[in-house]
Amino acid sequence: MTAKKRFLRAVNFLFIVLIAVQFLPNSELKEDNGIYVIWFSLIAEAAVILVSLISKKEQGLNLFSDIISFLYALLILWTIASAKSDILDKALFPPPGDVFRQFIEDISKILLNIGSSLAIIVQGYLLALVIEIPLGLFLGYSVRLGNAATYISKFLGSIPPIVYIPYGIALLPTFRSVSVFVIFLASFWPVLSGTMSGVLNVDKRVIDSARVLNVGKFSMLFSVILPASLSEIFVGCNQGLSVSFILLTSAEMIGANSGMGYYVKNYSDFGDYTRTIVGLLVIGIVVVIISFLFNKLQRFFLRYKR
Amino acid sequence: MSTIEINNLTVDYVEKNKNFTALKDVSFKVNSGEFVSVIGFSGCGKSTLLSVLEGINPPTDGSVLIDGKPVVGTGTDRGVVFQHYSLFPWLTARKNVAFGIKQTQKTLSKAERMELADSFLDKVGLTKFKNKYPSQLSGGMQQRVAIARALAMDTEILLMDEPFGAIDAVNRTALQELLLELWEESRKTVVFVTHDIDEAILLSDRIVMMTASPGRVYKEINVPFSRPRNRVQLVQTQEYTTFRNSIISYFYNDITGRIGGEEVVL
Repeated sequence: MTAKKRFLRAVNFLFIVLIAVQFLPNSELKEDNGIYVIWFSLIAEAAVILVSLISKKEQGLNLFSDIISFLYALLILWTIASAKSDILDKALFPPPGDVFRQFIEDISKILLNIGSSLAIIVQGYLLALVIEIPLGLFLGYSVRLGNAATYISKFLGSIPPIVYIPYGIALLPTFRSVSVFVIFLASFWPVLSGTMSGVLNVDKRVIDSARVLNVGKFSMLFSVILPASLSEIFVGCNQGLSVSFILLTSAEMIGANSGMGYYVKNYSDFGDYTRTIVGLLVIGIVVVIISFLFNKLQRFFLRYKR
Repeated sequence: MSTIEINNLTVDYVEKNKNFTALKDVSFKVNSGEFVSVIGFSGCGKSTLLSVLEGINPPTDGSVLIDGKPVVGTGTDRGVVFQHYSLFPWLTARKNVAFGIKQTQKTLSKAERMELADSFLDKVGLTKFKNKYPSQLSGGMQQRVAIARALAMDTEILLMDEPFGAIDAVNRTALQELLLELWEESRKTVVFVTHDIDEAILLSDRIVMMTASPGRVYKEINVPFSRPRNRVQLVQTQEYTTFRNSIISYFYNDITGRIGGEEVVL
């Protein structure tokens, strides 16, 4: 790549525009938090320059700079529409500078809430994986039980797990345990049916070649069938994870006093839409990071596939 | 080494509620340390025959005896190489071999298994590729790993189901030479299924010819060439040509004899 190709990019132009826009006069006299947008865009731009310098593949650089361009463009429009003019209602659409500032002020509170949400997800989700994957392997491998289980899981899996919440509240002592229970149920069916269908789709030739090696039942399940069905198990786990997030945040909005769903719901009840937007963005970022890590894990486990 | 005795073996399949006879009254014997090839057209039941020897399919009638004992299910006395999917795609070449060793030599430690795996991968010329996954190896290399595993398992019997059927001609030649060389070292009892007449002549002591619908033994024939065999010299001799032609004409006669009445699928 030539230096021109590396550095003369739309993203850098948008960066300059974004900075310039911050210096326009505000539409009404109120505190100006444009400096927070400038700081944010400086960090983003530093990342762009760093990636431009070290990136070897043009494709990767293009993707990264396109994403940042999109972000810059959004921030430019958002700044103009909220801080620099009266296009958007100030109470409902706080300017980006306010949002960044609020995020920094609330960071410790946000981290606590993220921690509380993640702890619940991890408990419910891991519980589901530990129970469901071996059960799915066993049910998928045993033809008769598997057939029955497929129908039962179709019925039970079609019940949206959120409707278990009232019953869960009656059954279990704390909101936390109800949440873990609901996450467990939410990931239960995707993981179970993913595992079962993975097992059912294992190539017969793979099973035959394991049989002629005379492997025992245990080895057959865990050293052959499990790795052979791993990609479909991952599909199920992925579904389970996204359903878990949807459910947990919904549950937190109903009855929790901590967690990201609670943060959003609580502040929107008070009409604090700056914090509401902060909460929405943070949830998005957390989910993106988790799915990124999950993908890495999946790639590691399925690295034998070219 | 072990002997294999197949007596009046009949295998029926039920497919879409229809009974289908894959093998009918198949009988032959494989002596200890003998290399026997089974040849025939597709659908003659040669792979079904091997699956009964492997213990994957049970006989409907008749029996298969190994050293006088009937075969019940799979066993560690038999090593198998398939045409496809002998290896587990999620294990490296080395771990695939070590996994096989683990099934037959349970007393070995992990380090000993790995060492043994390495030595067999070296024999098939894959030391450099031992940490590659099957998807990163060519078809020929994959079959080398499968052979290494079957040999490393140190079974008395080796069953091979068209192991070189999907390999290109050049690599197939190399694999045949390799197999011959390794077999000369170990002299295991081998049943080798193929549809390649030259391959069968080069490798075997005896050739069992099968014919289709239902699958049965048509003729057994001893290969009259002394070992060790040199492919290049062998194919130039008149004896080779005559022998090869006789096998082809057996098949040809069989087909023309049946062509009026039944449908023949080549």
